[in-house]
Amino acid sequence: MTPAEILLDARDLEPPEPLELTLAALDELQPDQRLRLLLPREPYPLYGILDRNGYQHETERHPDGYFAILIWR
Amino acid sequence: MALAGLSLEQAPPLSVPLRFFLTAPLFAFLAALLLLFSGPTALASRWSPALLAATHLLTLGFITMSMMATLLQMLPVLAGAAVKQPRLVAWLVHVPLSAGTLLLASGLAAGWKIGMLASLPLLAWAMLTFILVAAYSLARTEARNATINAMRLALGALAITALLGLTLAAILAGHAALPALKLTDLHAAWGLLGWVGVLIIGVAYQVVPMFQMTPAYATRITAWLAPWFFIMLLIWSITVWWAEDNAKWVALTGLAPGLIGFALATLSLQRKRRRRAPDITSQFWRMGMASLLAASGIWLVAQFSPALSAAAFYPLWLGMLWIVGFAMSVINGMLYKIVPFLVWLHLQSRRPARGAIPNTKEIIPDKMARRQLRAHGAALALLLCAAVLPNPLVYMAAAVWCVSCALLAWNVFSAYRLYHRLAA
Repeated sequence: MTPAEILLDARDLEPPEPLELTLAALDELQPDQRLRLLLPREPYPLYGILDRNGYQHETERHPDGYFAILIWR
Repeated sequence: MALAGLSLEQAPPLSVPLRFFLTAPLFAFLAALLLLFSGPTALASRWSPALLAATHLLTLGFITMSMMATLLQMLPVLAGAAVKQPRLVAWLVHVPLSAGTLLLASGLAAGWKIGMLASLPLLAWAMLTFILVAAYSLARTEARNATINAMRLALGALAITALLGLTLAAILAGHAALPALKLTDLHAAWGLLGWVGVLIIGVAYQVVPMFQMTPAYATRITAWLAPWFFIMLLIWSITVWWAEDNAKWVALTGLAPGLIGFALATLSLQRKRRRRAPDITSQFWRMGMASLLAASGIWLVAQFSPALSAAAFYPLWLGMLWIVGFAMSVINGMLYKIVPFLVWLHLQSRRPARGAIPNTKEIIPDKMARRQLRAHGAALALLLCAAVLPNPLVYMAAAVWCVSCALLAWNVFSAYRLYHRLAA
């Protein structure tokens, strides 16, 4: 049984590690799974990559300043 | 790492941003070489032909060259505002900026009027193209943040600097009768404090937390610092023009506190780095902030000390601390993050068949970057000494500085070579 949501907390990582880990996590993502990505800033370049590769995504801004990006197929 | 079927950002080829970062260290090398061959006469006064030429090789050829490329790289990342036709823009800016800088510097160094005049349309073209492209991207973005605001102000300052520069050239060519000394001060202030200073402040809000793993700058700083500084620069300029005796009060209450506050805030963020391992970029930035503090301090003291402000080394120290110590250190440090990152990103999207993609820390080895950091620090210290005692220290300073610039050029070039080897 795979979990419905995978959490990737990349808030404390130095670029390009967050992007690297996100791309790796997307490779592993099952069709019924969602990836929740936590970042210190809004990842505009990632949106382009997601859009072009047929992923859906949703961004929430948290009051303490970080961003949560929910990604699914 | 397998990136099954994922196509990355449709970024322009690596050569588009990298041509700026490869050329910039060469211009710095030329400036150091010019100093080496001109010897002590170059440091006789701030108006010596060799020093004027070297200053423009640095401000246009190194600083503006790399800041323009950084801005074009950051706009899509920060604002989601992709630059249209990046290849064309790179050609239209890079070629005239390079050629114009070379012509202007030769014109200034050799008193060659035709070269200087010929540089003007080239530089004006490069500036105008860049300002229009960046302003268009900034106008369309819906993202709102302090960095984007600072970039807008810095663009305005660049336009003002360019217009003042053109006016000065017209005066030198005998086509306009205006007070050249005051205009030179304004040109230098808008270029160094406005374009370079405000842009570095705005860019720091992003790159210091991102690449040096520090907490974010406090909102009470980011919300007002760049606009405050820009307005103070305007007030200072008006005061210099019409009531020069009062300009020092604006410098004292408006400009210097802003700079000192920014340097102290950055140093205090660096002390809160989440990673303790020494980092070359952070060390370059620390050197930059220390130079900024020193430049602001000396400037403040000189406002009230006729002895200091009349000393021959005073304007040289200000220029060296600001240009070599502050701007060049900060940009140099940034290059060691941006260039490996770009190489990594482009390798990712090429997915080279041979071997794994190197980690960003392997693209420019720390050992090589640290060697250049030491050379840069030594060059700065020697330059400051040479301002006081030009003969014979200028030769030593210029020689060490040549080494530092050559090492930087080599480090950036070897990153590019690595890309070609792996992507082939």
